[in-house]
Amino acid sequence: MLLFASNDTTIMLNGVTVVDAAKRDYQMRSSQNSVRINQAYLAENIAGSLMQSLEGIPGIKAMSIGSGQSKPTIRGLGFNRMVVTEDGIKHEGQQWGDDHGLEMDQFAIDHAEVIKGPAALLHGSDAIGGVLNLYTNHVPVMPFEGTVQLFGRTNNGQMGLSAKVGGRYEHFFYRANLTLIDYADFKVPTDSIQYYSYFIRLKDRRLRNTAGKEQDGSVMLGYMNNHFHTDIRLSNSYSKSGFFANAHGLEVRLSDIDYDHSSRDIDLPYQWVNHLKLLSHTVWQTDQLMIEANLAYQNNRREEHSEPVSHGFMPKPVGTMERRFNKDTYTAKVGLKLHLAPQHELQAGAAAEYQHNTQGGWGFIIPAFKSNTVGAYVFDRYTVRENLILNAGVRYDHAHTHMHHYEDWYKTPISETDSVFKERSAEVSRNFNSITWSAGINYSIGNWVLKANAGKSFRVPIPKELGADGINYHIFRYEKGNSQLDAEEAYQLDAGIFFSNKALTIQVDPYINYFPNYIYMNPTSDYVEGLQMYYYAQSRVLRYGFEAQVDYTIGQHWEMQMKGEYLYAEQLSGEKKGYTLPFSTPWSIDGGLKYLFNKKGKGFIGMNAHIVGAQNEIVPPEKKTKGHWTLNASAGKHFAMGATTLKVALHADNLLNKRYYDHTSYYRLIDVPEPGRNFSLMVGLEF
Amino acid sequence: MLLCALSACSSSDEDEKDMTQPEIVATDTASPLDCDTYHKGGKIPFSYLFKDNQELGSYNIEIHNNFDHHTHSTSAVECSLNAVKEAQKPWVFNRDFSIPGGLKSYDASMEIDVPTDIDVGNYHFMVRLTDKAGWQQIKSVAIKIVEAE
Repeated sequence: MLLFASNDTTIMLNGVTVVDAAKRDYQMRSSQNSVRINQAYLAENIAGSLMQSLEGIPGIKAMSIGSGQSKPTIRGLGFNRMVVTEDGIKHEGQQWGDDHGLEMDQFAIDHAEVIKGPAALLHGSDAIGGVLNLYTNHVPVMPFEGTVQLFGRTNNGQMGLSAKVGGRYEHFFYRANLTLIDYADFKVPTDSIQYYSYFIRLKDRRLRNTAGKEQDGSVMLGYMNNHFHTDIRLSNSYSKSGFFANAHGLEVRLSDIDYDHSSRDIDLPYQWVNHLKLLSHTVWQTDQLMIEANLAYQNNRREEHSEPVSHGFMPKPVGTMERRFNKDTYTAKVGLKLHLAPQHELQAGAAAEYQHNTQGGWGFIIPAFKSNTVGAYVFDRYTVRENLILNAGVRYDHAHTHMHHYEDWYKTPISETDSVFKERSAEVSRNFNSITWSAGINYSIGNWVLKANAGKSFRVPIPKELGADGINYHIFRYEKGNSQLDAEEAYQLDAGIFFSNKALTIQVDPYINYFPNYIYMNPTSDYVEGLQMYYYAQSRVLRYGFEAQVDYTIGQHWEMQMKGEYLYAEQLSGEKKGYTLPFSTPWSIDGGLKYLFNKKGKGFIGMNAHIVGAQNEIVPPEKKTKGHWTLNASAGKHFAMGATTLKVALHADNLLNKRYYDHTSYYRLIDVPEPGRNFSLMVGLEF
Repeated sequence: MLLCALSACSSSDEDEKDMTQPEIVATDTASPLDCDTYHKGGKIPFSYLFKDNQELGSYNIEIHNNFDHHTHSTSAVECSLNAVKEAQKPWVFNRDFSIPGGLKSYDASMEIDVPTDIDVGNYHFMVRLTDKAGWQQIKSVAIKIVEAE
């Protein structure tokens, strides 16, 4: 339970530089399973997107949605079943959407923390699977400091530049960031894609029209003294990317557009996404008391453009704007931490959020809606002995969602002579109340730390689940919402077993997770207007699994790492009783060996094998996915040059250029394999 | 507890769970087939065999124009296409059909009237079939509508 962002970035994820006591202390800080990731790890593991960079952490997956875009999942739960925060404020994207990334600048992130397991207590709705906490709150120490990074990837011809500067003058400080990225269509190790019985031939093994670009910037101003810290940060993240030209959603497309004349241009269909955020963060601190206040405004805009075509009863629309979303979110959060006694700490807080969404374009997925949420919590942490800590907390949330009426802009015949503008979403107003709780224990003995945590979390149904009633051309199906859905609830029991000595670190994190009413989109055997009907229903779901990691250091130069994860999910009731959940994560094991050296600066060279099991547990319309393995290599070196440091990081993914499918990828449904061999290089200069 | 669950529980329920898609079988008398030509005011005889390992669900027949060569196709065959043109009064046919409950095999056949007042040209004839569990099979047939004889 980390409420207050820490500026400490000294703990590294990989075993080397971490002193045992620090590792143990970190394990004793929370009864939940969490992993802290510092800037060095991020820089060393840089991949196409922030999430892909975090994928090395057991239990974390990047649900690939193409063109370097991906969504995070924690233990198989993603979208609205996990929370991403930036400096303590919930990052609002269009969490429900399948086809765009996190909408933030990964190069601006100073450090990150992943909490695996329910975190409703601090974050309210959605924090079922866990939380990805991102921090961009490093306070500069020098009058002028900065980093410039240049990076590239061979697979999609990505070129990028990121610059960070900052400075501190006594109590005042500032920071600024700029990131520019441009990439071409990505390559897959196949000449054609077979989807249904249709063959899509690829030119130069590139996935047509998956090129894109990203432009991010931010500025921050702050003031701090011994008891007080305040900063205000303005950031904007813009990206434009093409969708694979031969399939729009799950629908095969032929077009007159000459996609093959350039692999760098972005033709229809494409999307652009813009995320603007203004965030104010203030902390006031004495020996006994700490008060924190966060205020934020976020605006998300997204447009999706495609060639207009008639479909079903929809005539050919005018213009290319298929969908437009505009979302404003206002958030206020206050929290306090009180040291009642040296061994007794009390935290309490309250949060409120107002959100307003509008939509446009000729395609319809979700209605316009607005929502209000308020929540408050209290959390108590009691240190019985130095090696035994108990904690417990409770939270109450109230949410109100109001969805607006939507009807088609074209008429649909309802009889031989009559036709109507069909209503796709009714005016619906719903209130949700939820009480959640969490309790845990930390116990350490010798080299061991043992943890256990039990918690309840919840999720307010999203408008799509409550109000959808129409064709989702993206997935090519008819989706029917259910305005009577209850708030989804989840109970979870987590354990953590941690052992560490000079050479060896072992961590095993088992969990068991039960949903009395998991919201699930059930495929039926019925057709509506030629599309298979799916409807939202709630069923009991049981999930369990574990992550394990072993790090072994041999002498000064060698480091071995084995890590893996396993997850099982089953629906216990409803029409799909006995089936798993969609996009179920298969088991995986990762083994790596690293050689470290120090010759005028630290360096390493490493190899790892990533083995993923087959996934035969599927639900319609999924396909079984075979297991696969990939071989990867990485190397890095620091070069000290006076007051500056040059850092070089090299990565090689899928060295054997294997063709494989990722069961959790959206592209799996249209039989597009994962990217082929890729080399990425990053050169950074720190001054 | 977890180890027990890993070995024992993951293999339960295998027999009852339907994991197989239904099939759209082109028998000797199947119709329409790729590149078949039909006349305005005439009839398209439809005949395909549907099969499933457990229980069939329902099916849909949809016919839409392919004048702009844009729309989807699940067919590996591309018949000779007329020049790209703007639709004036394209034929839109979209109808859902139920299959009697409890069947593993079903002969679907009917005659579809081709209207007299539609654009001639290339069309896609789509057959979609589900089974009770929600698995779907799609077949697309490229046909051509020409002027009445």
